Amino acid sequence: MSEVTPTEPRRLAAEARDRVRFEEEALELADQVYRVARRLVGSREEAEDLVQETYARAFRSWRSYTPGTNLRAWLLRILTNLNIDRGRRKQRAPDMQPLEEGDYYLYNKLEESSHQPASDQDAVVERLSQDDVVTALSSVPHDFRDVVVLVDIGDFTYQDAAQILDIPIGTVMSRLHRGRRILKSALAQEAVGGS
Amino acid sequence: MTLEPDLCEKCEEWMQPYLDRELSDSERLEAELHLDGCGYCRKRYRFEETLRVFVREVCSEQMPAELKLKLASLRTPL
Repeated sequence: MSEVTPTEPRRLAAEARDRVRFEEEALELADQVYRVARRLVGSREEAEDLVQETYARAFRSWRSYTPGTNLRAWLLRILTNLNIDRGRRKQRAPDMQPLEEGDYYLYNKLEESSHQPASDQDAVVERLSQDDVVTALSSVPHDFRDVVVLVDIGDFTYQDAAQILDIPIGTVMSRLHRGRRILKSALAQEAVGGS
Repeated sequence: MTLEPDLCEKCEEWMQPYLDRELSDSERLEAELHLDGCGYCRKRYRFEETLRVFVREVCSEQMPAELKLKLASLRTPL
């Protein structure tokens, strides 16, 4: 059976092939990784640094990636860990209670602040600007924002978000639901101002 | 059917799990029965759906082209 055992050069060639394939696949995901990173940190520069550090580490430790598993989630796991390690954010949010209204609150505020009745809900959304959304999202405390960004902007499943952030899936769901409410309350503040 | 405050309140609580497809079958049916007859809740559900798409769109910033080149330069040399 000696021909079944790969010789050393063949093993090395196979490993090089696997590594090249890994690097190509990882680079194809860079746009999506950046999009999430950009909303996890405060500035474009920080996001760029973080994505570079992530890829440098990913290329070094590619052997610890299991082929066939979710590479995008694996990269984001590295990225969120680096973000915490670098002290760019505190892992625990301070004991503050962000403003959190019910799920209809934003719509009600937008509708009542307008002089004409909205013909449809698209017209109501158009009262919000890109700046309103970006500012409101950045004001959501990290623990909630991370989950909202991963699920609603990064399109990760609850299961992926739980693995990336190393928290139970139930925590993902409760932070997501609360985080969206906090975001909408902040949006109401941005778009309509204090009541 | 007219506005039923208790049911509208319940529907507000159910909005996120409904749109995330997390409600049980019986809860979903109850929500849909209410939504069929309640324009107040229906408008707010549709707004939430539109809002989610809007948030995703406006928060999606494209990666700078130079960053893509920098990342490619991090690859292991052959």
